[in-house]
Amino acid sequence: MRHRLGWAFVIPTLLFLIIFNVFPLISSVVLGFTNSELTGGSWEWVGGRNFSRVFNDPKYAAAVRTTVLFTVVAVAVELALGFILALALHRDFRGKTAILTLLLIPMMLPPAVMGIYWNFLFDGDYGVINQVLHAGGLLAPPQWRTDPGLKLLAVVAVDVWMWSPFMLLISLAGLGSIPKHLYEAAEIDRASRWMVFRRITLPLCAPLLGLAALLRATDALKQFDLVMAITGPNDASTQTLSTLLYQVIFSNQRVGLGAAYACVVLVLVIALAIGVTRALARMRSANAGQAV
Amino acid sequence: MRGCVPVRERFHARLADQWEYHMSRFVLSLAIIFSTVLTPAFAVEPTPAKATATEPLTIWWAQWAPADGLQQIADVYAKETGTKITVHQIPWGSFQDQVFLNFGNATTSFDIVVGDSQWLGRGATRGLYVDLTSWLPGAIDLAGIKPQALSNLCEYPSGSKHYFAAPCETDAVGLAYRADWFTDPAEQAAFLARFHRPLAVPKTWTEFAQVAEFFHRPAQNRYGNAQLTGRGYDAMAMGFQQVLWSYGGSWGDAATYAVHGHLDTPEAVKALEFFRTLTTFGPKGATNLDYGQVLDVFTNGSTAMSCTYFAFFPTIAKQLGPKVGFAVMPANGERHAISLGGQGFSVSAKIPVPRQEAAKKFIAWFNTPAVQRQWITKEAGFTANTAILASAEFRAASPYNAAFADSLDHVRDFWNVPVYNELLASAVKHLGEALDGADAQASLRAIADEHEAIFEDAGLKK
Repeated sequence: MRHRLGWAFVIPTLLFLIIFNVFPLISSVVLGFTNSELTGGSWEWVGGRNFSRVFNDPKYAAAVRTTVLFTVVAVAVELALGFILALALHRDFRGKTAILTLLLIPMMLPPAVMGIYWNFLFDGDYGVINQVLHAGGLLAPPQWRTDPGLKLLAVVAVDVWMWSPFMLLISLAGLGSIPKHLYEAAEIDRASRWMVFRRITLPLCAPLLGLAALLRATDALKQFDLVMAITGPNDASTQTLSTLLYQVIFSNQRVGLGAAYACVVLVLVIALAIGVTRALARMRSANAGQAV
Repeated sequence: MRGCVPVRERFHARLADQWEYHMSRFVLSLAIIFSTVLTPAFAVEPTPAKATATEPLTIWWAQWAPADGLQQIADVYAKETGTKITVHQIPWGSFQDQVFLNFGNATTSFDIVVGDSQWLGRGATRGLYVDLTSWLPGAIDLAGIKPQALSNLCEYPSGSKHYFAAPCETDAVGLAYRADWFTDPAEQAAFLARFHRPLAVPKTWTEFAQVAEFFHRPAQNRYGNAQLTGRGYDAMAMGFQQVLWSYGGSWGDAATYAVHGHLDTPEAVKALEFFRTLTTFGPKGATNLDYGQVLDVFTNGSTAMSCTYFAFFPTIAKQLGPKVGFAVMPANGERHAISLGGQGFSVSAKIPVPRQEAAKKFIAWFNTPAVQRQWITKEAGFTANTAILASAEFRAASPYNAAFADSLDHVRDFWNVPVYNELLASAVKHLGEALDGADAQASLRAIADEHEAIFEDAGLKK
């Protein structure tokens, strides 16, 4: 009876997962072996042709490079900036709540809207950033939206502005969870501030920071909204995997080929997630060893 | 205490039974909800609505001034026939995606789509557009339609006399220039002194570059020209291809689909390098200006010349008044080619036949000379009717009409094959790289490689 009761609890969730996760996943893999198009109509099995095209497509390789570069740079800067801000805010002072609230605002705004908003700020002619730079004496301010060396940097800058507060929040939670007696013991031992940071603060926050980095990295790997709003889906300097997928499936209407691209992306993301999860587990067990 | 244990066990057992009962009801309810909600979503063929001649029709078009004009014309049709027509306008950025996503359904939400000329091949070969070949010649006087417009906006393949669209909005790229700057005596004197010829509206690309260079004074926030260079959809290709054709290059051979030897020739490289030079005489960010931005930099009064579609010219004329003049795009010696614009009416093949017939009736009515005369009075309503285009009345009706009529003799279009968008995306991407500083020849060769691979993959290459 208990066994059946257990199933009764599990079945709705299982059904939900099968209908909305497993079924689309299987369907997507199957589509990857067809020449199916967005507008429907007849389709044929094409074997591994789509997958072979994915691996031989220079656009795909370029999109992987851009996505990885974007993810590594954006997440690293966000992590560093968020942690530094958290260290600065991890004490009581007047106006702390107000500052924290202000810092959290970008994270709460829709990325697509923010992309359009920053697009205006980055405009080479009438954008506020260049107007300020020009007023400050820079006669030839950088062209954020058209200089190939700056386009990706512009997208990274907006992402950092939006998501550093997320790292700040997680870092604050990590800092708050460190037992005070460890700092007291360090003080008694006359440990330097750098030693305290290196031996207590950083190692004890690391698992939480690692988790935050994993969450942000999986999100950054899907970067779509900001690229669409700032440079468009078809710009060689900023085309990420998501915008390439959009281009293939919606603009070119090649659903079969797009599904093959998506399957390969999925494998990459799963591999990354497994790698980071294992690293986190190792970090946690190392911390536990130190505590013992 | 001991006597209490069986009572507690009985209570727990009853509670568990009740839980099981309620959970099984809950699961059953969920199953019913899922089946009710999801069954229609997975249904293969929705029941088509019964259609009558007076049933309302829906047209999908992009969101711009001509669509407002079409709605006004459609209201006249409703008064005459009782058939109400709604023109549903979709922002340009998502127009293509929304239309083709909708074509993925068993029945489309629209009866007529005013689709881009490049869509013809896809619509025709994928069974999305109704084949109008046997109907169109009897419904519309095709001899009275500008042949270039008929061939590029309605026919697939071009020259085959197979029609999948009927004329709606005919358009071409034109030149808008600051007439007040061109007629300023001080500017004329300075230009004459520098280039040893009078300052005039450029008739050749060489003259165009000289005028653009002359007016390019960034320190005074004054710029020479604005070209279509946007990376979003087709702006870059539309802007560049007229220079490409005028310099003797082309996108490829329409018969064999060979691209090498057409797009990567020295003439084509020269065209791309020239196009890149033109962007150096443009406002900041001139290497990535979409349609809206080309309009903005001209209407904000900072740019001397702007090359964009005639459909935007009423807005320019309204904002700048007598300060602006309009002309035909420049040529290069004997070679004179202009990017075609505009869209044709296509009837959805995914609606019931009676609705298709009702849609055809409207299209035939719209193309009668009397209605075309009304159409040209609407903002940016441009016709392909040769008699109207040639009439003195039309040419004098606005400051840009004469230039529009003269431009249609030189229009050409991008590929309209089913894989047009892949070709477009590849072209825009590599042309963008060239404008950003990459080697012009390498960029064109990359496009040629990719285009031939796309044609090969689509089974078109011979």
